[in-house]
Amino acid sequence: MHDFAMHQPSTLAEALALLDEHGYDARPIAGGTALVLLMKQSLALPEHLVNLDAVADADGLRGVRLEADGLHIGALTRHREVETSAVVREFAPLLADVYARVATVRIRNAATVGGGLAHADPSQDPPAALLALDARVEVASTGGTRTLPLEELFVDYYESALEPGELITEFVVPRPAWGSRGAYLKFLPRTEDDYATVAAAALGRIEGGVCRDVRVGLIAVGPTPVRARAVEEALEGEAASLEAVRRASEAVVDVVDPLDDVRGSAAYKRDMAVVFTRRALERALGLAAS
Amino acid sequence: MRLTVNGQSTEVDAPANRLLVDLLRDDLGLTGTKEACSVGVCGACTVLLDGAPVASCLMLAAQVEGREVTTIEGLASTERLHPLQEAFIEHGGFQCGICTPGQVVAAKALLDSNPAPTAEDVREWMTGNLCRCTGYYQIIEAIMAAAGSPDA
Amino acid sequence: MADPFVLGRPTPRVEGVEKVTGAARYAGDVKLPGMLHGALLHSSRPYARLVSVDTSAARDLPGVRAVITGEDVGQHLYGRRIKDMPVLARGFVRYAGERIAAVAADSEDIARRAVDLIEVEYEDLEPVFDIEEALTDGAPLLHPNHGDYPGARAQETPSNAYMWSVNDRGDLDAGFAEADLVIEHTYRTERVHQAYLEPHIALVSLEGGRVHVWTTTKAPQSIRDALAFTVDVPREDIVLHHSHIGGDFGGKGTPLNLPIAYFLAQAAGAPVRLAADYIQELMAGNPRHATLTTLRTGVKRDGTITAHHARFRVNCGAYAAYKPNGVIGGAQRAAGPYRIPNTRIESIQVYTNTVPGGHMRAPGSPQAVFALESHLDEVARELGLDPLEFRERNLVREGDETAWGDRLEHLKAHETLDAAIDTSRYRASASEGRGRKVGRGIAVGDHGSGGGIGNAEVRLHPGGAVTLGTPIFDQGSGTYTTLQQVVAEELHVPTSRITLEIWDTDETDDDSGIGGSRATRVNTRTAHEAALEARAALVRLVAERLDVAEDTIALEGDEVRIEGDGGRVERWPELLSRWEETAVGRARVEDREAIRLTGFVAQVAEVAVDEETGEIEVLGITTAHDVGRVLNPIGHQGQINGGVVQGLGYALMEHLGVEDGRVTTLSFGDYKIPSTADLPPLRTALVEGEEGIGPYRIKGIGETPNVPVAAAIANAVEDAVGVRIRDLPITAEKVYRALQAQREREGQA
Repeated sequence: MHDFAMHQPSTLAEALALLDEHGYDARPIAGGTALVLLMKQSLALPEHLVNLDAVADADGLRGVRLEADGLHIGALTRHREVETSAVVREFAPLLADVYARVATVRIRNAATVGGGLAHADPSQDPPAALLALDARVEVASTGGTRTLPLEELFVDYYESALEPGELITEFVVPRPAWGSRGAYLKFLPRTEDDYATVAAAALGRIEGGVCRDVRVGLIAVGPTPVRARAVEEALEGEAASLEAVRRASEAVVDVVDPLDDVRGSAAYKRDMAVVFTRRALERALGLAAS
Repeated sequence: MRLTVNGQSTEVDAPANRLLVDLLRDDLGLTGTKEACSVGVCGACTVLLDGAPVASCLMLAAQVEGREVTTIEGLASTERLHPLQEAFIEHGGFQCGICTPGQVVAAKALLDSNPAPTAEDVREWMTGNLCRCTGYYQIIEAIMAAAGSPDA
Repeated sequence: MADPFVLGRPTPRVEGVEKVTGAARYAGDVKLPGMLHGALLHSSRPYARLVSVDTSAARDLPGVRAVITGEDVGQHLYGRRIKDMPVLARGFVRYAGERIAAVAADSEDIARRAVDLIEVEYEDLEPVFDIEEALTDGAPLLHPNHGDYPGARAQETPSNAYMWSVNDRGDLDAGFAEADLVIEHTYRTERVHQAYLEPHIALVSLEGGRVHVWTTTKAPQSIRDALAFTVDVPREDIVLHHSHIGGDFGGKGTPLNLPIAYFLAQAAGAPVRLAADYIQELMAGNPRHATLTTLRTGVKRDGTITAHHARFRVNCGAYAAYKPNGVIGGAQRAAGPYRIPNTRIESIQVYTNTVPGGHMRAPGSPQAVFALESHLDEVARELGLDPLEFRERNLVREGDETAWGDRLEHLKAHETLDAAIDTSRYRASASEGRGRKVGRGIAVGDHGSGGGIGNAEVRLHPGGAVTLGTPIFDQGSGTYTTLQQVVAEELHVPTSRITLEIWDTDETDDDSGIGGSRATRVNTRTAHEAALEARAALVRLVAERLDVAEDTIALEGDEVRIEGDGGRVERWPELLSRWEETAVGRARVEDREAIRLTGFVAQVAEVAVDEETGEIEVLGITTAHDVGRVLNPIGHQGQINGGVVQGLGYALMEHLGVEDGRVTTLSFGDYKIPSTADLPPLRTALVEGEEGIGPYRIKGIGETPNVPVAAAIANAVEDAVGVRIRDLPITAEKVYRALQAQREREGQA
């Protein structure tokens, strides 16, 4: 691995100052599971690493907090913590479920939620559910803070909307509409520890026999995680039925743009995106037979 | 830098780009931890960081400053093996042995947090500790047996 | 064998404590003072003329101690049998991944940085990747002078097919003429990696005028000889030291980077460690070969096979060097343990611009058996026969010749198949869930044990300790424990008193090492003889010291009973202490005869296929084996379990992806092997018997479990949803496409 300087800031302000000072030459590190791998393969060559784990707890970067506007999860919170948090499970079981499906427990113990989002890997699981849950991220820099809907965070393969010097400090999930249920389905035809061929998260509820507050997010279907608004719109207000879900799910082909790779051809992934969108919706809306 | 390795406070000089697995194997001579896939998939390099299993091939030594690392060398006391180690021997939970330190360390973390796992819990937890020799069946047996023993 | 003492009992590994505590030393754990670290430059082109390799910037990097290229080391060819591979490329590169240059430096980081500074100018040539392409007239010839390589056979006409053998029995044309139906299909298998978790490592030190080697090999004597030839050093000047081996499955019989490490150590004047990483393993290891097998079979309506023509074509990659015999066998397995009077079996070994293949668990068999056992299922279905009934009709019985012409003894094909059927759910009624259909498939196979040379020494020490000296480098399959059991059995001492002494290569002159289930056959016999020799030496010693006739002495465990002399009873541990003597028995066994015993395997797979996605869930695998006697049930079952799960990976997911000649699956993130969460329920049935090899009536078990799995699953998939997948791996997408095509056909009909 190349040489670099490791900085150990003790406050968030210090960390942001370091990131600001070194700009493109600096990268924040916390869990390191993605960044260290990129550095080992010479795909990232930062001259400065800013170790966020050195930042004191008081700066609110860690842990799960329930507030009036929803659930706040600090950027340095480990995947495993979200997966096992009783607060998260009570608030939105879908969120706990999706974090439980990331890689292996070894990675989940190290990887942070903020790092996972900033990495902008279109095959990472959490964004599927976070898009369905309408999450937003809070971003800080020496210049101040800003809020980004999650959808706007992802720009392209491994490319986020973060500017040099910016850091995700937390993400916030508004409370889902009362009675909503979610489902995350990950298509793993090879092994359980593989990346998804495609995966879909769905959230929604049925009120008076009609679909309401339907949300669908997908991963591994293109350059970024995607929210399938076309599907949501096709189902919103429709009488809940397997047929309606089937019809609405077809619309997902217009929002996906997969690549051929070892997990399947683009055409296959497009077809599977439809199947898994439909199955996730059926499960979330309680329509699935079985 | 300072860290605790297998219960012992340790001070070691290492450049910023030293990986934890190399720190353990090369600087501290603890070669029980193995490196195989180098991309965090296979589990051969599993160590416990403050009790939780992590991939030491994807972690910089500088990230564990002041923290507690447990490796395979930290499991057995001088006079006796850890019950998991006994069970791996008795049930054929290894063949070539290269993945075994990672398997045993990962299994220890499981039993520490879940002393009476189901076979399903074991299969799920151990996913990603790859083994090409055993086909895993005897590893699962060994872990279940260790969990059943009063010492586990 | 009356009342075995320890054989047949579950016996934990002799090296168990070392391995579970992390104390076991592997080649990667060995460090030498002043040791340098190597790195390699691999070709990025599948086929090119090397115009220039400029290493000047690499040499100038501080910390670099040596840089070598093919021009620096000169003409040194490497190969287990056919010596066709330069240590470092000279003139041409013939696959993407070929080793071009090497660096030794103070650290691995520096070595890698130096490699990045080497500039190569290529002149691209038209490459050839596929077997069929390589066999066409006018295809680029990879080795026009193949016949000049040491170990190669002369070619009449230069061709990429460097070996083409034809085995004819009976009258093939008459056999086809006699058939009611002639059915032909072609089956394709892809390259897969052995996926041992320990990448290859070579550490070479030229200390004291000798070549000291620590490397990941299970065939140390043969690697020593190959290295001696390649680097032109007398074999007695080379010594391979023992270290544990982190998995093999056939892939650790070739030294890969060892000759390069030697030349680096020589150039740098210091020990050099050349450790492969997994990228290099997947790009430029020695994977299982891709094959193309065309099978044409004549059958009568009643299910009798009248003729069978197998064309087994092996994609050997750019060099034959990694194949211990120069070729990949297995062609005869494409005809199988069936009674077929008229056969033609062709084996065609083809050079292409791809990574050279090596050995992997039952080399050639998984490919050939996938083809044959899939094909026979198709033939049975075409005839309207149950695939089980069809096999029962044609499987060899005592007295029959196999399709290859072997007349084997004590055939247990039918018993093994029956055991698999009885233990499995083959006869259970089909069931379906929503969108999922269940099916079951059978496949069978057989494999004999290889021969070779074995050595062992047993020493009885004062006080009762026993040492077992062995030149074996156990790759993990448990040979040490088996040998320890054998010695315990013959001496009637507990295994705990027998310590292992693993020799370096100086201790013996020739030894075949591990491979081809040889350990079971040759090495148990060797340990047996060494133990008997040690007993005999003890008896001679007692006779001499106590001045009694040898035939009055009886040994039972530690007791030495002397007839007459008032029924005197002594204990040998004390006698040896008193006399300060050691009783030594040494054995060298050469056993190369073709043996007339084989080990059968029959498997049943049960799958559920999701018709919407093509995803296959394996609901269960049953594996039945004809085993003779089992020496160590723990190790025996371990071989079965591991083999079946490897077979599962081969069937469903493993595939060294290659695009334009370049391997694309370059990590365990993309090259997936089964994990704990992917295991199907496994049922094992053992058909034990008294007919086996050697003094303990045993059979090899390491190879067969991985062989029929893919065909059993392919057959189960067809049983479930009516589509036939003829190329491995059987991915969800392939099944999905086949189901789509089926629906289209049905729509048209």
